[in-house]
Amino acid sequence: MDIYGTATPHLPQLLDQVMDRIRDLSNKEVANDRPKLYEHLIGRVKAQASMEEKCRRKGYPVTPESALTKCKDAIGIRVVCNFIDDVYRSIDRIKNADWCTVVEEKDYITNAKPNGYRSYHLILDVETDLPDYLGQAPSHYFVEIQLRTIAMDSWASLEHEMKYKHHVNDPERIEKELRRCADQLASCDVQMQTIRQLINESN
Amino acid sequence: MNILLAEDEQQLSRALVTAMKATGYEVDPAYNGQEAVELAAQNAYDVIILDIMMPKLNGIEALKQLRQQGNKAYVIMLTAMAEIDDRVTGLDAGADDYLTKPFSLKELLARLRSLERRSDDYQEDVLNFADITLDNDEQRLESHNSIALSGKETKLLAYFMKNPGKALSSELLLDQGWDKDDEADETDLWIYISYLRQKLRSVNAHVTIIGEKGGPFTLAQTTA
Repeated sequence: MDIYGTATPHLPQLLDQVMDRIRDLSNKEVANDRPKLYEHLIGRVKAQASMEEKCRRKGYPVTPESALTKCKDAIGIRVVCNFIDDVYRSIDRIKNADWCTVVEEKDYITNAKPNGYRSYHLILDVETDLPDYLGQAPSHYFVEIQLRTIAMDSWASLEHEMKYKHHVNDPERIEKELRRCADQLASCDVQMQTIRQLINESN
Repeated sequence: MNILLAEDEQQLSRALVTAMKATGYEVDPAYNGQEAVELAAQNAYDVIILDIMMPKLNGIEALKQLRQQGNKAYVIMLTAMAEIDDRVTGLDAGADDYLTKPFSLKELLARLRSLERRSDDYQEDVLNFADITLDNDEQRLESHNSIALSGKETKLLAYFMKNPGKALSSELLLDQGWDKDDEADETDLWIYISYLRQKLRSVNAHVTIIGEKGGPFTLAQTTA
């Protein structure tokens, strides 16, 4: 059985389309003599097994409807930026884009999670000519966008490694150190941001 | 606190050791200057009490040797009432305080308490102002979020938080954050003020540092 139903082949297609649109947004910035929006982009369609597991965990029926309308991260894109203000500039450009509407927004940069996680999450409602799981076209899909700096991204990779290790010695101590490290990385991000402003002010 | 007492009069030494131990301090007695220097080379002491008139090595010579070896302990000299020169020589040789003999035990214990207050209470680990908290020990700024601070940023922000609402000159702030031989100037200070401003903003604090490059600067609350 296929958790995404007849929408399965369209998900990678839509992922590619949205990634191209985000690339366009950055190209437009560069064409206007502004720095590129991000350092790199990655995207994925959530694996069948993870999506099934998520539906069960949330108590949803394991159906294409749940996977594509109740869960909103079947299509996920991560925008990894050099500097904090690039993150906010990217958010601004996405919000102003005519091909999507922001339906949910979580700012874990100004309000970091207690474990130290920092990132900005957007859920987009994207219009497309591709058919949805009911076979209707044009249709709407949800796309989750995570925006963060390179430092926040490296931190998240480290935290992910620890979370998915079956056995970690003294996890409380590691968690405490991770939190401290997140504060230090945030400090570097802010410091780089400030230096960048000082450079720009002197022009 | 760990205390080294160098006093050659056995009876006085015993009385002082007993009283200080009863107060809760750890005390090692030495009975001449040489022994004091040797003990200080082996053990860590917060306070060293040195009598001046001692056999083998007198208190002044012992103190000079201790400082030469890089010992940074707080040193209290015990001097004779009449000898002003002893006190001056002692202070110049690196002593922090003196007591004139005969002195009362009450006064010695009060000085030790005062010293403890200076090192504990007045260097507060955690400072609060409006919706921000500064953990001096961890070099961490907290509000609705948290961020790490560098050593200089911590010193500057602590000084601001102890003096909120006051216009602080660049000179005063440079004195707080930098050593004389750093040769820091107003531009260095301005860069650090900029870091602190951005960091306050990044933790969503309703606190900012007001002022233009060159100073003066004031820590103030902002409205939500």
